[in-house]
Amino acid sequence: MEVRLENLTKEFLGKKGDRTVAVDKMTFTIPDGKLVGLLGPSGCGKSTTLYMIAGLHKPTEGQIYFGDLEVTNVPPENRGIGLVFQNYALYPHFSVRGNILFPLENVKDYEDPNTGKKRRYTKPEMNIIAERMAQLVDIKPYLDRKPKQLSGGQQQRVAIARALAKSPRVLLLDEPLSNLDARLRLQTREEIKRIQRETKITTIFVTHDQEEAMSISDLIVVMDKGVVQQIDEPQKVYDEPVNLFVAKFLGSPAINIIEGEFKKGRLLIDGKEFDKGYEAKGEIPLDGREVYELLTSKGFTQSYEDFYLAVHSTKEVTEGSEKVQVPFELNVTNIVGHAQQFGFHGTDGEIERTIEKMRISLKKNRRVYIGIRPEAFSVEDAASAKFGVQVDYIEHIGRDISIVGKVVGPNTKLRVIIPSELSEKVSPGVIKLSAKRFYVFETDGARIK
Amino acid sequence: MLEDKRDGWKALIALAPAMFFLVIFIFFPIVNTFLLSFMDNFAWWPGAGLWLFGNTFDAFPSLGNYIAVITDPIFIDAIVNTMTLVVISVPLTITVSLLLAVALHNVRFMKGIYQTIFFLPYVTNAIALGMVFNVMFSKFDNGLMNQLLALFNVQGQNWVGADGATKTNMAIVLIIYSLWNGLAFKVLVFMAGLASIDKQYYDAARIDGSTKMRIFQKITVPLLSPQIFYITITSFIGAFKMYTSVISIFGKGPFNFGGSAGNTWITIVGYVYKVMRTDTGKAAAGSILLLIIILMITGIQFLVGKKRIHY
Repeated sequence: MEVRLENLTKEFLGKKGDRTVAVDKMTFTIPDGKLVGLLGPSGCGKSTTLYMIAGLHKPTEGQIYFGDLEVTNVPPENRGIGLVFQNYALYPHFSVRGNILFPLENVKDYEDPNTGKKRRYTKPEMNIIAERMAQLVDIKPYLDRKPKQLSGGQQQRVAIARALAKSPRVLLLDEPLSNLDARLRLQTREEIKRIQRETKITTIFVTHDQEEAMSISDLIVVMDKGVVQQIDEPQKVYDEPVNLFVAKFLGSPAINIIEGEFKKGRLLIDGKEFDKGYEAKGEIPLDGREVYELLTSKGFTQSYEDFYLAVHSTKEVTEGSEKVQVPFELNVTNIVGHAQQFGFHGTDGEIERTIEKMRISLKKNRRVYIGIRPEAFSVEDAASAKFGVQVDYIEHIGRDISIVGKVVGPNTKLRVIIPSELSEKVSPGVIKLSAKRFYVFETDGARIK
Repeated sequence: MLEDKRDGWKALIALAPAMFFLVIFIFFPIVNTFLLSFMDNFAWWPGAGLWLFGNTFDAFPSLGNYIAVITDPIFIDAIVNTMTLVVISVPLTITVSLLLAVALHNVRFMKGIYQTIFFLPYVTNAIALGMVFNVMFSKFDNGLMNQLLALFNVQGQNWVGADGATKTNMAIVLIIYSLWNGLAFKVLVFMAGLASIDKQYYDAARIDGSTKMRIFQKITVPLLSPQIFYITITSFIGAFKMYTSVISIFGKGPFNFGGSAGNTWITIVGYVYKVMRTDTGKAAAGSILLLIIILMITGIQFLVGKKRIHY
């Protein structure tokens, strides 16, 4: 079952009438049969989103669709969902079997396979389902125990079995691994992946652990402050973060952020060229105050090509009795306002329009952040190196060595991971490095390259 | 070890005032009651003999008192009456207070005020309450209950008056009284219990598609079972000791039990007070018998409860 959120917003009212926006105009689609991780730091609204999908929280605004059906105002029991709570919420007074049977006992509209009539499950039918669920999550020997007599991992699996018993269309898991110890966590996350593959149920889980999200999700939804930052496959999110937040949030050890500077199409660290080829595509005076330059970008598509696409857009005019789309060119000198991360607002004198999903407004000569993943460095000789690092200490972790130091110049702390066979190239003092891959971000976090 | 001893002394000194009163007013009477119940014709007024404070008695140890009590038709009456009241009022008050607690727990608007209103009977004097009930159920036209009945064109009843109040009418008043009087504490305990139930169980049950009734039966009641058990035991004990309500509603003191209504609704404790003056030994035997009954019933409850309580 495809899950679609449209413009979903949740505000919480404080005691003094103040409003906190937990989820802000969230729009995204979760494809059918996928395992999707909602990832973000605590307080980013990911659990609130999950509870809105479950129906336990009522959205302030926006709609939720399961397939083509709008479920925004459907009570949780009629949504066909299974929810696994963070602390499992297993009924302590029922046995494992009783817990799995509980949702089945409530079913009134089971379609009899022979007569087609709607009826309740019979006892033997329920027991068959319970056994099957227990088999699926591998807890069959414990069916007649009480939840308290089980380990955390086993309780977790019982909770999943209970959630799956009614064969829900969507399975929701709230921080499924946070109550488990490290070893069980690894085991259980594989288990969740396996169960999801076997049942093919669209599954959404919430986590703050990027490793957990990376390892089992088909898709990751990265959230921050109630806003979706990026939705992509795990590797894509890691390799192509859309902004500084996503880049910083994913990856362990975290990405290195070095201050740099744009000057006439060149990217500099400590005044020395780090990268070049950022051609100026003409200068655009904006607001009559500052001169901006558009820069080409290598590979990052949401940039100047999009800009021209948007500028050569169409507008709707009335010809006789018909409305037709005619091409028009935005007068770039009329671009008003500061172009934002996801678009800008422009006018050609007659109409105003907001063009979304693109970024322009690259200010000339300005400070930027350069993001380099710890494993993306290469050790170079003095001639080819782009910058130097003053080594503080070196950690040997077997396969790799990890160098902690400071960039010469901006003095930013840096962690470099290189294969241990290259260790002879590393000596105490200053080592010369360049980056195999890197990202460039605006100081407000938007990605340039 | 030495330090332990010193601490022991300090503890004893701290405990002494409380112990002094406990020994005189609790421990001694318990032991004494037990001994008295085996003394025939014990004379409680001093000066007649040699026992402790110069009282007299005929035989010790003897089962005479017990035989006299068991064969006393008034005591049999008292047991039947008490049992009747217990069997009706205990399940009734527990059910009503449980439902009220759940309702109050789910109310948001003016929750504090409702809670205060329901707790008020707890801090009100029982005798005063009885007198209020006496007035409310007066057989005269100004009795509130009869005024209420008149609204529905029902003939006013004689509820509490000795002259002609039927036993059933009196029982209705007694049960309403004990229901209302016991409500406060029970609601309080149940509400504390409800507050400690994790809200997630209810969310889970909702997602599992349970009806409100089923959630109440399968989630609330089992998770509240420790409180229900505690309240059941204390209510049973309380109901077996019912006495104040009878004399405060129907009037007169312990010796002229129940006023002109006499022994109609005499309870076990009522019987004990009634015979205390004339035959203290019999009264002691009566209270020991009450103790045995309560112990037996509590024991049964513990045995039954073991399997049904989920701590």
